Amino acid sequence: MENINEVLQLFLATENFIAIAVGVLVGVVVGSIPGLTATMAVALALPFTFSMEPVAAILLLVGIYKGGMYGGSITAILIRTPGSPASACTLLDGYPMAQQGKAKKALQMALYSSVIADFISNIALIFFAAYLAKIALNFGAPEFFWLICFSLTIIISLASGSMIKGLIAALLGILLSLVGLDSVFGSQRLTFGNYNLMDSISFIPLLIGLFAIPEIIEFYRKKIVPHIRAKASGAGVSLAEMKRSLTSIVRGSLIGVIIGAIPGTGATAAAFISYSDAKRRSPHSERFGKGEVEGVAASEAGNNGVAGATLIPLLSLGIPGDVITAIILGAFMVHGLTPGPILFQENLPLIYALFLGIMLSSVILLFVGSAAIRYFSLIADIPKSILFPIVLMFCVYGSYAVNNDTFDVWLMLAFGVMGYLFNRTGIPAAPFLIGFILGPMFEDNLRRSLLIGSNDLSIFVRGPITWFFIALTVGSILLALYRFISARHKAKQAANEPEANA
Amino acid sequence: MKKLINVLSTAAFGSAVALSLSVSTAHAQEWPTKEVRLVVPYAPGGTTDVLSRRVADLLKDELNANVVVENRPGAGSTVATGRLARGGRDADHTILMASPGHTIGAAIYPSLAYDPVEDFLFIQNMLDIPNVMVVPANSPYESAVEFIEAAQDNNMSFSSSGVGSSIHMSGELFKTLTGSNMTHVPFAGSGAALPALLGGDVDVSFENMPTVFSHIQSGDLRALAVTSEERSEFLPDVPTLKEIGEHNLDQLVTTAWFGLIAHNSFPEEAFATMQEALQQVMEREEFTNFVEQLGGEKGTIGGDEFKTFVADEVARWDAVAAEAGLRQE
Repeated sequence: MENINEVLQLFLATENFIAIAVGVLVGVVVGSIPGLTATMAVALALPFTFSMEPVAAILLLVGIYKGGMYGGSITAILIRTPGSPASACTLLDGYPMAQQGKAKKALQMALYSSVIADFISNIALIFFAAYLAKIALNFGAPEFFWLICFSLTIIISLASGSMIKGLIAALLGILLSLVGLDSVFGSQRLTFGNYNLMDSISFIPLLIGLFAIPEIIEFYRKKIVPHIRAKASGAGVSLAEMKRSLTSIVRGSLIGVIIGAIPGTGATAAAFISYSDAKRRSPHSERFGKGEVEGVAASEAGNNGVAGATLIPLLSLGIPGDVITAIILGAFMVHGLTPGPILFQENLPLIYALFLGIMLSSVILLFVGSAAIRYFSLIADIPKSILFPIVLMFCVYGSYAVNNDTFDVWLMLAFGVMGYLFNRTGIPAAPFLIGFILGPMFEDNLRRSLLIGSNDLSIFVRGPITWFFIALTVGSILLALYRFISARHKAKQAANEPEANA
Repeated sequence: MKKLINVLSTAAFGSAVALSLSVSTAHAQEWPTKEVRLVVPYAPGGTTDVLSRRVADLLKDELNANVVVENRPGAGSTVATGRLARGGRDADHTILMASPGHTIGAAIYPSLAYDPVEDFLFIQNMLDIPNVMVVPANSPYESAVEFIEAAQDNNMSFSSSGVGSSIHMSGELFKTLTGSNMTHVPFAGSGAALPALLGGDVDVSFENMPTVFSHIQSGDLRALAVTSEERSEFLPDVPTLKEIGEHNLDQLVTTAWFGLIAHNSFPEEAFATMQEALQQVMEREEFTNFVEQLGGEKGTIGGDEFKTFVADEVARWDAVAAEAGLRQE
């Protein structure tokens, strides 16, 4: 009872509510600006938290994190420029929806899906932290290796249309991901002596170039001002669409939770895995990539599912899974608190006050997000002849802001040309991105496993988690093969039937 | 085409406006005559970044001028450091938070376009953080000597936050000095490396104190030794490698250091003002608390002493990099 009082006392401070609200708001705005990521905002906000109470300080940072995760989707949907890497997947369906005059629907679905995923992620954090943390600790390099293998098989579904073009895209992504320093020997790979490339190709300029620039080139190439469609204030998400997408949202959230609980994978991969999973299960998978609202839902569920779950290894083990949680760890330490098992023994009321605040942040995200949609969706109504120069400015500034370096601006423009060529030749961008993100993880974990196991291959089958993911990988490949063969069979039958009739 | 030019000029103008927002000018007679830039050669979020922001915050009051933190990550810390070495217009108002990456980078890339010692002015070392030799709780080794004796016969693995990190190089130095058989397993950052250590996938690590302190307290990791000159007040029962002494360990003293440097054209007056201001900063209670929370100690050296220290470090890592085959020509 005494504890409950203490928790409420810690939680019910006005400062906490202000911190959450300001955090989420800042997060949404910063997240929506290309090149300004939630990571940067959290780092910049850190000094302000030094003088705050610990609970408010952490909640401010968590608020920015969560707001930023959603905010990235706004510009991804409206101007095909992902505000943050994790929302790259959202634009695959979000932008086509905006073009069809369904910007509001896409933005709302992104918000609802984000909030639901966030909520599920929080529940996982509060009730299953200890259990999930244990799984995370048993997740070594070989387990990681198989998880990546499984993820790679799921994304076969992203290469729909032409399998060859999909493979070209994926391999090109892997090739470009090799640029930089070798992770084991430190030697330079494909950098051509350029020190700017030593830290590998920056992801944000790549994303901005790949998606935003081709739209701008296309617009000026056609030299016609396209018909401005109905107001973006169009219809919102209907109950039927929500119902239809709910399974994908819940599955995506759970994928996000698992990926988030394991340090080192990240929200971008979670979004793509969730998206591919939804596409594979959907009865109308052909609509994905052309403006399917369920695609937006799955992608946002995947990346927001990560947000609460990354706090699991942080709070229960003291292990930061990504840069943002590393900064939050710093904030804990500045206040003389050390996340980990001891924090749970010594500062339990504080942990529960934090949990209450984190739950509240989901609710506030709903309100802030709704307000943001009202204003941001106006962007969809701006004539493109005015909008696109502004977008180009943000592309330049956003690419520059990542490392404060003009090299990244040139990189962004080069990827813009590549993205344009992709569009003209029908090479899909999604497998390219997957190759770029998962390729290095595949390589690093393969090599790490071999180093840990002194080149003994039995390390790859060392325990139940590896067996589980091997089974999933094999099953997933077999399923894809079965679908491929039966589709061919059907096509053949369809081709034969008219002949038989004739 | 005309349209394209219009677009480009609008975009260029807009970018210029946006970029210039961060630059302001102030007029005063004494140094600093405008805002001071504190360059962090890493991305936001790491120890260097957090420390720099804390220092910038306190330095503002002492200098009565704005201190702007600017992150310029890239190729270890060599991109930002190389830029500082080139000098330029703002070199008299630019300082950089250097760390072991400054000396290790120079050792790994001997072809760097700058001299890590002569091209810079060394103002003040702000913070030293010891590394801790840790093994998983279920490891059979109770002391550093036991570990070394086992590693001379069997192959051991050690984790690090990445190739060329101070954690990696400490491990390589340990391997060379003691003649142990050890395989380096690099991870992408300490966060990713920690589970492998806690789960027993790797045998040992020479992690920074703040990363592993709570795990030592909770008993999930066992500290065999610290790498600093003297025992850490946070782990008073853990010996230093230097005091163990056997197997050449007396030569193994290394800490993660963080200190402010400037271009060697940095004005004398500015150097004196900075040193004085930093002394004030380091005496502030906020700074003392901050250093304690990181499990580190305040830096003690500045000026020429600091320069000599850096020169020695460069020489030492140079030898280790050559021995470990890490040198990239």
